Amino acid sequence: MFSLRLALQSIFKEKWMNILSMLSIGVMLFILISVAIVVYNVEMLTAQLPERLTLVVLLKEDVEGEEIKAIQTAIRADQTVKSITFVSKEKALEDLKKVFKKDDFILKGFGENPLFDSFDVRLKSEGVKKDEVKRLIQNIKSIHGVDDVEYGEALMDSIYALKGGLRALGLSIGIIFVCSVTFICYATVKILFYRHKDEIEIYKLLGATRWFVRVPFFMEGSIIGLLGGAIGSGMLLGFYSYFIKKLMVDIPMFTIISIPMQFLYMLPVFGLFLGLGGAVLALGRLKY
Amino acid sequence: MIILDNVSKTYDYQVALSNISLTVEKGEMAFVTGPSGAGKTTLFKLLYLAEKPDEGTLTIAGFNAADLKDSAIPYLRRNIGVVFQDFKLLNNKTVYDNIALALRIRGIVEREIKERVHSVLKMVNLRHKADSYPLTLSGGEQQRITIARSIVGEPTVMLADEPTGNLDEENEKEIMKIFKHINNKGTTILIATHNRALFENTAKRVFLLEGGRLVKGEEK
Repeated sequence: MFSLRLALQSIFKEKWMNILSMLSIGVMLFILISVAIVVYNVEMLTAQLPERLTLVVLLKEDVEGEEIKAIQTAIRADQTVKSITFVSKEKALEDLKKVFKKDDFILKGFGENPLFDSFDVRLKSEGVKKDEVKRLIQNIKSIHGVDDVEYGEALMDSIYALKGGLRALGLSIGIIFVCSVTFICYATVKILFYRHKDEIEIYKLLGATRWFVRVPFFMEGSIIGLLGGAIGSGMLLGFYSYFIKKLMVDIPMFTIISIPMQFLYMLPVFGLFLGLGGAVLALGRLKY
Repeated sequence: MIILDNVSKTYDYQVALSNISLTVEKGEMAFVTGPSGAGKTTLFKLLYLAEKPDEGTLTIAGFNAADLKDSAIPYLRRNIGVVFQDFKLLNNKTVYDNIALALRIRGIVEREIKERVHSVLKMVNLRHKADSYPLTLSGGEQQRITIARSIVGEPTVMLADEPTGNLDEENEKEIMKIFKHINNKGTTILIATHNRALFENTAKRVFLLEGGRLVKGEEK
């Protein structure tokens, strides 16, 4: 209790320096968590990507009856396939007419139906990797009676490349900001230690152990980190309430953004551990 | 009890203390005197283990300095009360908190701390100053607070380095009266001073240091 009192007294005594440290930590943790949220959202979206991506398997003109059923059975047998729906060329034409609406006269110029029978294949969302999708496409293409497979390869490749890049960027920013926050706590605690040097000298003469001297500084570092994290959480909450929510109303595309609220509680705890780490590093090599 | 046997200390080839042997018996009050630079402060630094001797053995409050690990030094210091000429009080803490600090370091509960702090404040006649801050007190009062802080932990040995150095005659007498009172209760006291008036009319032993050597350790 006495150590905690000493830590709080010191924080209030050097309040401007500590407030500055807490604000810096708050801003850094806010940026860090924002990057984490972007990476998290991209991960979530790409996880659903295979399910949203429909493979269109185009059949050759002369494929009919039992052969269609055999192709359907072969495709369904693959473990990555969630569902498979047969779309006859007549149904495909009807669908196309719905797309053109009043302009469907364009299709009449073709005379007979120019489309092919096909399958719409949907993939499972979990555990389907990019390489597995490519393997499935190769397998389907090799089935007798299949003409071609259409899918958004370019889109998928771009999204996976973006995901990989974001992961690397997120990791780099994460490491840089974790080190920066630790350094701020390290520097703050070291300055506080030197400002209390005369006091510490008196403590030592009265018989204080190393732990008695160190614990208030560990607490100080932890409290600075904790409150810095709380400031970061406040910023995140404010950013979400006043910015993202408004964006979601104005631009429907932003409704897909998800901010896990447990990040709000995690941030102060994360700050606390970084603050403690900084304090331990600051006092680690000091002789007193 | 304090025992020094052939203790020497050198700083950068400069001899600060050379072959010092002296004994202060349990419950005794003795003085160390000598001109500036004679080695009084070095001797005291060795006694409260701010420094370690280069040669010789030093025993204080039952601890042998040579055998003592760094981690055990705080526990030795709890058995030694130290009084400095410059007081070494925490100016941002009240008189009460300054004295209580010596007990809080020992992990004593607040109720007992309160009793003991008020008891020593009464002994130095400053009970009414418990809530004051050191810088609002006179030099004599600050030194009495330092003495109160050094004895609140009930040490077996007390070291006072020029305790009356900055004080007028009246405060000097008051401080010496307190030391005698503490000594009468059985605490061993060693006082470093260049003020002859403190020991001239007493029957206490005086150790005279000159140039780092013990010139005289006489029975008065």
